[in-house]
Amino acid sequence: MVTLSLNFGVLAVELVFLFMGLFIFLIDKFINNKNYAFYLAFIALVVGLGFLLFTPFGEFAQAFKTDFYATTIKLFFLIGFLLVLFISYFYLQTFKALNVGEYYGLLLFSGMGAFVMLSSQDFLTLYLGMELMSIPVYFLIASSFVYRRASVEGALKYFIAGSLASLFYLLSLGIIYYFIGAISFKEVFIKLAQGLYKKEMILALLLILSAFSVKLSLVPFHMWAPDAYEASPLPVTSFLASLIKFALMAAFIKILIVAFAPLKISLGELLIPITLLTLLVGALLAIKQDNIIRMLAYSSITHAGYASLGLLSGDFLGYGFTIFYMFVYLFMTVGTFGLLIYLAKLKREFLEIPALSGLSKDLPLISFFVLVFFFSLAGIPPTAGFMAKFYLFVMLIKSNLLWVALLALLFSIIGAYPYLRVIKVIYMDKPLHVVEKERYGFSMLFPVLISLLVVILLGIYPKPVIDFIQRTLYLYLSLLYFHF
Amino acid sequence: MGIPNLLSTILWLPLIGIILIFLMSRESERAIKVVALVTALLDFVLSLFLLLSFDFTNPGFQFVEKSIWIDFLNTFYFLGVDGVSILFVPLSTLVTLLCILISWDSIKEKVKEFYLALLFTNIAMVGVFLSLDLLLFYLFWEALLIPMYLIIGVWGGPRRIYSTLKFFLYTFFGSVFMLIAIIYIFLQYGTFDYTALLGKTFAPHVEKLLFLGFLIAFAIKVPMWPVHTWLPDAHTEAPTAGSVILAGILIKLGGYGMVRFLLPLFPQATLYFAKLILVLSVIAIIYAGLACLWQSDLKRLIAYSSVSHMGFVTLGIFSLNPIGVKGAILQMINHGIVTGALFMCVGVIYDRTHSRAISYYGGLATTFPLYAAFFMVFTLASIGLPGTNGFIGEFMILLGTFLRDKLMVVLASTGVIIGAAYMLWLYQRVFFQKPSPNVFNLTPMKWNELTAIIPMLALVFLIGFYPNPFLDFMRATVSQILLNFR
Repeated sequence: MVTLSLNFGVLAVELVFLFMGLFIFLIDKFINNKNYAFYLAFIALVVGLGFLLFTPFGEFAQAFKTDFYATTIKLFFLIGFLLVLFISYFYLQTFKALNVGEYYGLLLFSGMGAFVMLSSQDFLTLYLGMELMSIPVYFLIASSFVYRRASVEGALKYFIAGSLASLFYLLSLGIIYYFIGAISFKEVFIKLAQGLYKKEMILALLLILSAFSVKLSLVPFHMWAPDAYEASPLPVTSFLASLIKFALMAAFIKILIVAFAPLKISLGELLIPITLLTLLVGALLAIKQDNIIRMLAYSSITHAGYASLGLLSGDFLGYGFTIFYMFVYLFMTVGTFGLLIYLAKLKREFLEIPALSGLSKDLPLISFFVLVFFFSLAGIPPTAGFMAKFYLFVMLIKSNLLWVALLALLFSIIGAYPYLRVIKVIYMDKPLHVVEKERYGFSMLFPVLISLLVVILLGIYPKPVIDFIQRTLYLYLSLLYFHF
Repeated sequence: MGIPNLLSTILWLPLIGIILIFLMSRESERAIKVVALVTALLDFVLSLFLLLSFDFTNPGFQFVEKSIWIDFLNTFYFLGVDGVSILFVPLSTLVTLLCILISWDSIKEKVKEFYLALLFTNIAMVGVFLSLDLLLFYLFWEALLIPMYLIIGVWGGPRRIYSTLKFFLYTFFGSVFMLIAIIYIFLQYGTFDYTALLGKTFAPHVEKLLFLGFLIAFAIKVPMWPVHTWLPDAHTEAPTAGSVILAGILIKLGGYGMVRFLLPLFPQATLYFAKLILVLSVIAIIYAGLACLWQSDLKRLIAYSSVSHMGFVTLGIFSLNPIGVKGAILQMINHGIVTGALFMCVGVIYDRTHSRAISYYGGLATTFPLYAAFFMVFTLASIGLPGTNGFIGEFMILLGTFLRDKLMVVLASTGVIIGAAYMLWLYQRVFFQKPSPNVFNLTPMKWNELTAIIPMLALVFLIGFYPNPFLDFMRATVSQILLNFR
């Protein structure tokens, strides 16, 4: 007999986001000073952070559960979310034609969707969370149509790709329900552990993998990414590239751990070709790009590929490194986009790589920041980007996937070229433009500085974060299997 | 008396300079230079102090500092020096110091960034020589790429971008294989600690693969034939300081790595591949020597001569007997001094005429006599004339190789003759003949150029006439490393 326990306490963070978002929508018509929405969203995040840290773990209607894993991921997510909020604030100060209230409201809704997805206990809730996270983003991408007509096209592409993902996902959901007779992660795990429906569940896993491949822009489902990235307002791009991918990766890992753990051997076979292709294609396509956003879009494809390397081993060590990779990538992305917003404010053309020629002459500090972030993205020590890759390679070789590690390393040499090219343009080419020296206040570099600090510190001493993630996963797993 | 954590102090001292320069405004160029100079000088003095307090009867590691760094990976912040690395530390700090001097007036753009990059280079170079943890070593090894990429690419000559990318991708490619090998070793023995790995054995085929993994990285850095092609490009296009660092330290890292890692960790594989490497070294000596003969560019010629000289170094290392290995280490120091000085000399006339073409010059001996005298000494040292440091190193290497493989010695000795031919011919074309109209009215040498070149001159003769103290440093350690090959 199933008894429903409706414990609204565990939903506190989501409810805060929901009500604050609705409140912003409600009063947006009546307030002229548009900065208010930023402050309200900021308050929502801080209050949400408070609830996240101080509400005890619990379950809501067996569909939604807060636990070690969800809370840790949400914590990381919130830190990144705060940074994105700040860079959005600085962006919206210049590009005033965007509807500010709507912007922050949608951002909060999307965050709420991510949180629902991370706490879900069954396939349906996860799906709801995923859609709830994605739908506001479709609007956010389209929101800059005042500047660029392409933004509608980008949004449409992302929407169609997202629908494709939903299609795969729902098909898998149907298969699972047909065979298992239930849609909770637990049931799937129990049936698989009993050795039932292995083949059918591999099919379901394949479909789910496809759905997540679309969302994470893994090859061959990557084509939407450059257009959507280029079309969106810059902070939305950073949100899309870092936070949404982070949440999706975490949710996928959760499915793998909680539902499909008995199938872990098959995962590598499914994922290895996808991952390697992603690394190669992303790196090759990034080389020719002149638009820096498109370049970063392709590089984001590559980075999603790196992160998925951690899933190949199928044990929690690898999952932890994937989360660490996404964590590092989050800061690299937010930092890079913070810088791009700064540059775009100076001159719109700065989003084209050739226009950055000789930038280091006029903007030495900004150029130096770009240097650090790009060397980190290329994975060169002593930056966090190197450490994140290093852990993954250790894990790969440990799981007897030496050849995968070798290929991935070779592709990383190709992948380093686009970043080197940008650094080359900034530092070694003749200046094209005369730029007023650091016109804007330093305060707007604050999120960038935080990211920079994280990238450098984790490059030298990654231990605390790695430990934290591993311990979370370990605790999560031990408590999870304790029930069975 | 002693300074606590002497190695860390030497390693991180430039960081203070970096922070100070970072905080200074870009306009105060003079102050930036002074800060960089003072930092580098202090660092050099400290490394001399290290040299003097080194106990050369002890073959093991001294001044060891070890603390846990990432316990999950069992890696350590582990520094130490022994007879192999001790001489390279003062050489690195000296090279940085002299690079700052030699660039005093010749770097006019982005002065702040230039000195930041130089000091950063210093940290990375010293870090490579001090690290006894494989991961730490790799970290410094790769970190060195960043400032060098910038130094060549930003302040270099006309084709600098092609050269710097080639340099970066070549060395990055090599390092990747070393990284794989390092990870493999870690997974087998669960540690990155170099001292803990000494005496550990591997399955024969694994050992060979690991050896090759490291060798690719080191061979590209040295550079050995046929992966040497990045060096002439990088050397030619780099600014003077960049060339000096490349010649003085960067390409030594390969040879250092061979002595540090290949010989002690993979003795069986070393024996297995020794012959191959001897052959490659001899090819490098002769091929690069011949290539020097038809170079028309001063820097390019000296760059090719580096390939040839480094061929002697790898020859000495893989002769696998004490005299050859000691000769190779000494020759690395010598080559750093002599070729570094030659690049400084080329930089001196390049700053005045902005030409590197040999045919542009002629008759410099009459119009620029003091300079001609300096260049003469370094030319003769490069040839290996007795009384200069080059002779001692080359002689020891040839002697060591003689004990191993007589044919190789005969072939390598022809390299000595070719070396004399191209260097003397170069000298004849640049300094004698009828003075070219381009070389009149050259401004006399400045204080910074003189102070940079004179220490090198002193070292040429000091090592040339009295190499004993330098060899003393490495004696104990080298014989211990070679115990495997008795």
